Amino acid sequence: MECCGPGYASPAEAIKAPREKILYTIAIYTGTGIQQPDYLCTIDSDPDSATYSEVIHRLEMPGIGDELHHMGWNACSSCFDDNSMSRSYLLVPGVRSSNIHIIDTASNPRAPRLHKIIEGVEIKAKTGLSAPHTIHCLRSEIIISMLGDSRGEAPGGYLHLDKEFNILGRWENSMGDIPFGYDFWYQPRHNVMASSEWAAPNTFMPGFDLEEVGHLKYGRRIHLWDFEKRVPKQTFYLGEDGLIPLEVRFHHNPDSTHGFCGAALSANIIHWWKDDSDEWQWEKIIDVDNELHPEWPIPVPGIISVILLSMDDKYLYFCNWLHGDIRQYDISDPHNPKLTGQVWMGGVLNKNPKVNGVQVNGGPQMIQLSLDGKRLYVTTSLFSTWDNQFYPEIRVNGGCMLMVNCDVENGGMQIDPNFIIDFGKEPNGPSRCHETRYPGGDCTSDIWL
Amino acid sequence: MMTITLTNRDNARYKVMCRRSLLDELLDHGVDLPYGCRYGGCITCAAKLIEGTIDQSAQVALNNRQIDNGYIILCVVGAKTDCSIDIGMESHDLLYRNPFLEPLAPQDLRADVGAPKEA
Repeated sequence: MECCGPGYASPAEAIKAPREKILYTIAIYTGTGIQQPDYLCTIDSDPDSATYSEVIHRLEMPGIGDELHHMGWNACSSCFDDNSMSRSYLLVPGVRSSNIHIIDTASNPRAPRLHKIIEGVEIKAKTGLSAPHTIHCLRSEIIISMLGDSRGEAPGGYLHLDKEFNILGRWENSMGDIPFGYDFWYQPRHNVMASSEWAAPNTFMPGFDLEEVGHLKYGRRIHLWDFEKRVPKQTFYLGEDGLIPLEVRFHHNPDSTHGFCGAALSANIIHWWKDDSDEWQWEKIIDVDNELHPEWPIPVPGIISVILLSMDDKYLYFCNWLHGDIRQYDISDPHNPKLTGQVWMGGVLNKNPKVNGVQVNGGPQMIQLSLDGKRLYVTTSLFSTWDNQFYPEIRVNGGCMLMVNCDVENGGMQIDPNFIIDFGKEPNGPSRCHETRYPGGDCTSDIWL
Repeated sequence: MMTITLTNRDNARYKVMCRRSLLDELLDHGVDLPYGCRYGGCITCAAKLIEGTIDQSAQVALNNRQIDNGYIILCVVGAKTDCSIDIGMESHDLLYRNPFLEPLAPQDLRADVGAPKEA
């Protein structure tokens, strides 16, 4: 199908897209002790370029203390049939400030510029929401999960924007009994949205107190929504198997009902699907064992901070931020994943502390996969206060980004020896890198109608 | 008016009004301070009280161990007397703790879930 809208006609078409030449990655100074704004980096990922594996542009935010975290596009493949749309603006929120920065990436993709800011105070005044997290585009609309109310209490809700970045109000008609928000993903052909649970901003922003999990201040459920009615309709209570469920991903294939979530503290992968009787089911398909540490009184959980599916839905990738490994599973049979690759970097178990000459402070955290599935970009910072608890040396040395080459035919992963970005050497001092996106869309940005 | 002494900034002294937050007061005096949420929930602006009496009843970020270690949340704290404080990340030596290495006792948790402190 030929069309002029943004994105691709299908996941299969996305896989055939040209290789990503530049990356956008956020870097933070919030919580580092350096009084500078957080910023959006442009990174050269073209191996034929003289500046390959370097930060080639830095766009500083106007304020200090935003804590940039996740990002999303104004348009994605859900707008593919609309030639009035283009993927021109990257929405970059600050979790702490609630400011949402609208970045123009189209005028000069290598040197993006600030187009507009939706101020956190305006969002709070109009919707009573704070702490923006996940951003998804839906044709003429943009939906953003907001983790708190205007005072940082749960459950927050969903901010609804139009394509001119005006606040339409709250997207959801009801939060039902949902206690916490975090990530979400929808599968329109099945009229379903899935959402997960972190905690109230007032709980997670100051840092992680393990004891608060037992006091039910962290999430342990996945919610399925009636997407058209914008109300929650079913909850999976995961219990001890699903403590702190974070990233949710449906298959990219818009006909599929299979979805996955990483439960960070339980270090499990949860899988759900609609069965032959049209009932939604869930199961635990991967359980990462806790590891012994010579100095820790209790075994160390993996802390699965992110998961991602390859565009062909064949491979599931995730990181154990504390253990320090990135794993690749073949999920061709989603009920029976097979471990096909594993690499180590950083982590508290000290299995691979130095990569390509750079000391890794932190563990593998956010990941982004090329559309063809062959290059996985990895960064090391999770959240400023949590970094400071588990990896205090990151304050001095900063984060880093590296690339893992993935074998899409037979499975397997290898850290690329020629790509490394040491955020400890940034011009304003050591910063920390988090989420990455590509100008043409990536493996976590686009949804097909 | 109260006098705030920044002990880790060469004992710089500033006059502040009691009814405004110390963050707003010190920023107005040109002190370079980290901050985030501005409602007492995110800990970015934490500082350490060395001497003096304050009111930070609006803060919800600190657990009781952090309060016992002297931490205050500048964006919602008001001075009730002259105070001496340490500011910035240099004052955060006891703020962050690996929760697996140093568990909290029930009375060390945040006020909404913590056990009552023994008198």
